[in-house]
Parts: sequence; C-alpha cells; structure tokens
Amino acid sequence: GACRVSMSTAEIRAGFTAIKANIQSRDPVRSLSILSHPHPLNRVKSSDRCCITHHLLTFYVDKVFKHCTTEDSFLNRKISSIANSFLSARRKLGQCREQNNCECGEESTEKFKQILTNYEGLNVTSAAMKSLGELDILLDWMEKSR
Amino acid sequence: SGELYCSLPNPRNVRFESINMKNVLHWSSPEGTGNGVLYRVKYSVYGVGKWIRKPECRNINRTWCDLSSETSDYEEQYYASVKAFLNGMCSEWVETTRFNPLTDTKIDPPMVSVSSTDRSISIILAVPEKWKRSPEEESISLLQVYPGLQYNVSVLNKKTKKRWFFSISNNTLVVPWLEPGTAYCVSAQIHVTTPLLDSGFSKEHCIATLKDK
Amino acid sequence: GADVFLPPPQNISIISTNMKHFLTWSPVIVQGATVRYSVEFQGEYEREYANESWIPVSECSLTTATVCNLTEDISATVAYRLRVRAQLGATSSPWGTLKGFFNRATTSLTPPLLKVMADGYHLLVELADMGPAFQFRLLYWRKGQESRVQQQLVREVSSVLHLATMEAGAEYCVRAQARVEAIGRSSGFSPAQCVQAPGDTSLW
Repeated sequence: GACRVSMSTAEIRAGFTAIKANIQSRDPVRSLSILSHPHPLNRVKSSDRCCITHHLLTFYVDKVFKHCTTEDSFLNRKISSIANSFLSARRKLGQCREQNNCECGEESTEKFKQILTNYEGLNVTSAAMKSLGELDILLDWMEKSR
Repeated sequence: SGELYCSLPNPRNVRFESINMKNVLHWSSPEGTGNGVLYRVKYSVYGVGKWIRKPECRNINRTWCDLSSETSDYEEQYYASVKAFLNGMCSEWVETTRFNPLTDTKIDPPMVSVSSTDRSISIILAVPEKWKRSPEEESISLLQVYPGLQYNVSVLNKKTKKRWFFSISNNTLVVPWLEPGTAYCVSAQIHVTTPLLDSGFSKEHCIATLKDK
Repeated sequence: GADVFLPPPQNISIISTNMKHFLTWSPVIVQGATVRYSVEFQGEYEREYANESWIPVSECSLTTATVCNLTEDISATVAYRLRVRAQLGATSSPWGTLKGFFNRATTSLTPPLLKVMADGYHLLVELADMGPAFQFRLLYWRKGQESRVQQQLVREVSSVLHLATMEAGAEYCVRAQARVEAIGRSSGFSPAQCVQAPGDTSLW
C-alpha cells in the first residue's frame, strides 16, 4: 500500500536482540509458529502490506505484550520499550491508512485469521511469549517489504 | 541395539556457526569423556515440528556437522540437536537456540580489486556469495539478501600515514587527484543497517600511483 | 526511632539533550541519615493497555544520587510519565511525579561538532559521535559558488570521512546538521568551516 512508515525498526530490533535468546528459551513448542506457518508472511501481496502491518501491530499491542510480564526487570523494560514503539508506529500507520484507504485483500485477511487461529491454539501466556519470540520474523518481513 | 542408558554427560556448547549462510553445527564433547564418543544429529524447521535425522552425521566422531543444505531457506528458522554415544551409554539430545540464518550469519568482507593511473586509484568491490550446494547451482549474491547494504572503504596514504574513509552505496569508487608515485592501501567493509550486520574489514590491497611522466 | 515522615522529592525535572534523557530532583534532607531514591516510568502503552502500571528502573532503585539516566528506557516516541520517591530504611515517601508528560521528540538537538581538513586536493571531515539514533547531513560548496551547494548524508561516524575532491587553489566550505529519523527532527547547522586546496586557481 502507499503507507511507508518511517518506523525505526532498528531500535525495535536492538531491543529485541537484547532479549531474544531469553524470550525464545521460554517457548518450548517447536512444532507451531504464530507468524510463519502454515503460510509465511512473505507471501502477502505488496498491495496488502500496509493493511497487514497495521493488523499485526494491533495484534501485538492488543493481545501480546500485556501477557509478557516476567520476573526479570531487564526483560520487562525492554518489552515496554518495544510495546511503546509499536504503539507509536501503529499511530503513524493508522493516520496513513485513513488517508490512503489501504484495505486488506481476501488472501491477506485469511493469512491474518490464520495467525489468530495459531495464537488461540495455545494458552494465552504461551501464545504471547511465542509471538514475542517471533518478533524477528515480523521485523525481517517489514524490513524486506520496505 | 540393546537397551541404552542415557546417563552419559551431554555434548556442550551446541550452536550454529554461520558465515555467508554456510551454516555448520558445532559442539564440544561431553565433559570427562576421552576418545571414542560418537554423535548423531537431527534438525527441525521452527513451526513444523518434525525432527529430521541427518544421515551423513550419524555415528560420527567429529564435533561438527554441515547443515547448510538443510537450512538454506533463510526465510525459515531452525533448531538442531546432538546426542552422544559411548560404550552402550548415551546422553540426552541437546538443542541449539533458535537459529535465524538472516540475522545470525556473519558476512565475509567484500573482495577488493584496485587499479591505478598516475594520479588516481579505482576500487571495485564485490559482495560475497551466499553459500550454495554446488558450483553448478545458481549464485545468489548477499546483495540480493541484504538489498540495503553499504560499504565503508578505508584508503591509507603510506607516505603521509593519513587514512581516509569513504561511505558508499554502489560498489565502485574512483579517488582522483592523488600524489604520483605514492603507495596507497585500500580495505573495505560491508555494512548492513537492519538487521545490524557488519563484516570485518578486508585485508589491505596496496597499489602505487604511477610516477609523474 | 519513631517513623520519620519523608516528603516526596521536589523540583523534579527532565533534562533531555541529543536524545539523552536525565531525570533530576532535589535531595530530601534528613539530619544524620542517608536518604535513597527509586525511579519508575510509565509509557503510553502502560497507561492504555497495562492498567496504568509503572516500571522500576533498576539502576535507579535505592540510589543515593539525585539524577537518573532514562535514555535506555525512554526509547519510543510516545508520552511518558516519570516519578521518584525517597526511602529511608523501611519508610518510603509518597511518589513525586514529573508535571505533565515527557516525549523524547522534544529533546534539544545541538549542531554536531565538526572538523574540516584538506589533505592535498581532498576535502575531509571529522564528526563527533552523537549516538546510534543520529545521522548527519553535510553541506559543502566552493567559496563563491554558494548557489551550487552539494549534500552528503552520513549514517555512521567513522574517523576521517572523505567528502570531495577540490579544484586546485579553490576554497571550500562545509556545514553539518544532525538528524534523528526516529523523531523526525534535525539540529541547527554548525558554523561553516573553510579550507583551501593547494596550487593556483589559474590551472583550471
């Protein structure tokens, strides 16, 4: 879509890299991915990217981060930083979406539904921690699709 | 085989070591075990769940296993696991952390070629290729994998010992208006902003500008 | 002794320059005792999605300092609330909260420190590192040709950066501006610095 948000994924990536090993080690389920299986994000048509990005940012803000509080202060601070960056990015993308009316095609709507199905297939804490551990999948896709 | 007792100490430090997406699993032998330990390796694609044995790394005594072929799709992420065997005993399977080839590989420095005239040097840089199964297979430059990559080029005047840096996006650089009959040494580094990946600097390529006619 | 009443810290303020953010406050004085302080922050996400929760800053928990570096924690361009309280033994003061919100977009940006050099016919610059959030915009021109200003964007600071090749005998000037993409703002320009290429201009 036309919305090219100058979202600084570099800062989010730096925050995630600092906690990646710890967060992913809390996810023992190897056989399920929230974002990349059965349909990889990379199959999303370029015209749908703006809409799917907005859906995914909303998914993380509404559903994921709130269930990721840990006993570790360092993790909590980095997760807060990522969550607030997502909020900021979603606001920018939201403004752009309104101006450019970027809608999701059928295929991408199905893809996003699959993500929600994957998410609801686990208990909420496991699903949230798994989704957080897959942030590099999301960032790889967002950076590649810029 | 008979009943195996898995009380052997585990392999240690099981991890992927990756350069230009040549992804090799490495580990250290279990503590306190001398020679004679054999290993088996398996791997899985994250999100798919099936563990797949690597036949070429079944009952091996070395402590590495090349999984480049099995992990060549850099849009996937992977786990690998190693088990040790000795005298009828075995260890548990020990897993790597989740391996993302795109962000967890290291990039070699660019190849540098330099030519000179009397007052200028021309530098051409080439990005390393992504690992491939065989020479016949189509080459993929890491430039295709990391489209936004840039180069940092260092030029050292051997006479004045002054070093300049250039930050360029395309792979050629001409430095005009140099001193004739002077040696200049060039080295270059690849810089990827996101994901943040920097190669080391290449070794120096020195060349002298021609003497004044 | 009897429990001491601890007042909340006063004069709480944030000093933010070049994307480095420091919370400061006045000390709470209790004769003959060492008062300690703890700092917490709350981003927009915590207010709207996490029951207005506050997050402690471990480096500034039970500190005797009256300043806290929040740069690592305030790493999103949203409105933050910041608070600090005093602690003496088991007694804690009420929280003192920074008036209003703080958004890093309001950080003050100073022009970059720039050094311009000539090495033969080569125009070189050195820029002081201002941190990972910064890029630099360099403007350079030949003196007398102010209408033909050229520009280079520098993402990373390395020591001596080669900017251009100069024409013999000509004088070149350079100015630099710092840019923070994450907040969409730039600093003012550094004063122009000029250097001269060797040789005689009549050669051209």
